[in-house]
Amino acid sequence: MEGEVGTNVVGEALEVSFVLNGRATTVRARTHHTLVDVLRDQEHLYGVREGCGVGMCGACTVLVDGEPQSGCLILAVSAEGREITTVEGLEDASGELSDIQDAFVRHTAFQCSYCTSGFLLATKRLLEEIPDASPHEVKTYLAGNLCRCGSYMKILAAVTDLLERRRTVALAPTKEDA
Amino acid sequence: MLAPRFLRPESSDEAVELLRSFEGAAKVVAGSTAMTIMLRQGLIEPDALIYVGGLPGLREIHEEDSRLRVGALCTHREVELSAEVRAVLPILAYTFGTVANVRVRNAATVGGVVAEADYASDPPAVLLGLGADVITTSPSGERRRPLLSFYRSFYETELDFDELIVAIDVPIPPSGTYAVYEKYVSRASEDRPCVGVFASAQFYGGLFHNVRIAIGAASETPQHVPAIDRAGDESDLRASVIGEIAEAYAEQTDTLDDMRGSSWYRKEMIRVWVRRALERVREDAYASPSPSRSSSIPDEMPRRDQ
Ligand SMILES: Cc1cc2nc3c(=O)[nH]c(=O)nc-3n(C[C@H](O)[C@H](O)[C@H](O)COP(=O)(O)OP(=O)(O)OC[C@H]3O[C@@H](n4cnc5c(N)ncnc54)[C@H](O)[C@@H]3O)c2cc1C
Ligand code: FES
Ligand code: FES
Repeated sequence: MEGEVGTNVVGEALEVSFVLNGRATTVRARTHHTLVDVLRDQEHLYGVREGCGVGMCGACTVLVDGEPQSGCLILAVSAEGREITTVEGLEDASGELSDIQDAFVRHTAFQCSYCTSGFLLATKRLLEEIPDASPHEVKTYLAGNLCRCGSYMKILAAVTDLLERRRTVALAPTKEDA
Repeated sequence: MLAPRFLRPESSDEAVELLRSFEGAAKVVAGSTAMTIMLRQGLIEPDALIYVGGLPGLREIHEEDSRLRVGALCTHREVELSAEVRAVLPILAYTFGTVANVRVRNAATVGGVVAEADYASDPPAVLLGLGADVITTSPSGERRRPLLSFYRSFYETELDFDELIVAIDVPIPPSGTYAVYEKYVSRASEDRPCVGVFASAQFYGGLFHNVRIAIGAASETPQHVPAIDRAGDESDLRASVIGEIAEAYAEQTDTLDDMRGSSWYRKEMIRVWVRRALERVREDAYASPSPSRSSSIPDEMPRRDQ
């Protein structure tokens, strides 16, 4: 079975349409292309990284319909109709960093930052899912994201800070209350 | 690498017709967490992938007549967090929650983990211990098989090439049943198991009844030997009884060697973890002798607020 990736004719490239960071997008993919392949090669979103390629490290984390998944385990052709968020989709339209990114910067929760986009996206869902997460729950939720630089304690500090700030904001009186 | 064709049927019926037309050269893809790796590493070279991920009707969880039916396309994460599963079979929610990491659990499906028949998986042993049935459909109609006779050997099941798993059907243990799953990992905390032990028993009248053990990840297929378990029935699960059961499983399991442990080591770990699992069942029963519903829930069950 010789033949280079992408040069065979057995699996014709399929058009796949999904919503990427809020924008309708169409890519062309062959069956063996992963979401990481198409997001990097066709959409030039280099915040999506490949580390292990087998679901273990989380460098390739993307949100699929809001839930973290490994981009390296998703066949691009199966993403039809999904809503995909990458780290590039975290900042707002004006380029303002999200509070999650801001907390990671303030706590220098990285060294080389290869793992950071994955941690940011996993954290986004963690904060929605368990707004009062205990340190144990934060660790369990993020256990599948690996940081070769060992920034774990700083990441934990950034997430703890975020949990506290969001709680404070949630408790503060809003304009409607006044 | 030749890329297989990618086909998206719109119903289970269409999916199994496609499977039949490829006469074994097509593979089902659901959550794709195992398939993507096998495909990219060149371990399989199917002519076509039949993508069932979006099929309707295979994602329901419902309870009826003391049985819980879990659709094949439910993700691990859905089973882990399901209020319904937690209410009637908390041990199942707990077990699916021990698999891999959140990302994999968000994609991996119940049908996928059962069909893959990877010896180093967690749910199959627990489903076997609970006495689950596998429900499939094919152009020849629907079939039900007990999991006990479903696994043949290393990555091999009884599934025909044109069969699709549609659901897993699990009997809900009678009240007063205590169930535990001990996932022993020998490397990283989020690793697959070196040995996984399921144990359950019903407690009434001061004695244990219907003792059930299942061992996963230690041999080619998960093990459940009713003849061994019987030693615990109508007993108080004292140390000598537990020891006898643990010893029998260690002796009879044809353990395998891999990077998570040698065959000898696995036998030792079966002895240790069967004992600990049964001790936990006994302690849980003594601690709260009449639970309203089956099994004990470990303290650290994950939560979801939204
Ligand atoms: C990083 C990582 C860590 C993991 N750790 C664990 C662990 O700790 N414990 C554990 O138990 N497992 C673990 N797994 C395995 C994981 O649970 C399986 O990969 C997953 O369950 C497969 O489900 P899927 O839906 O993704 O299947 P797919 O990859 O889509 O398919 C897997 C197999 O099942 C077949 N199949 C799928 N659905 C059906 C169906 N409905 N009917 C018939 N055949 C079907 C496919 O043809 C294929 O052969 C891990 C996997 C990864 C990648
Ligand atoms: S590259 Fe996908 S999890 Fe490591
Ligand atoms: S900062 Fe380098 S891998 Fe995490």
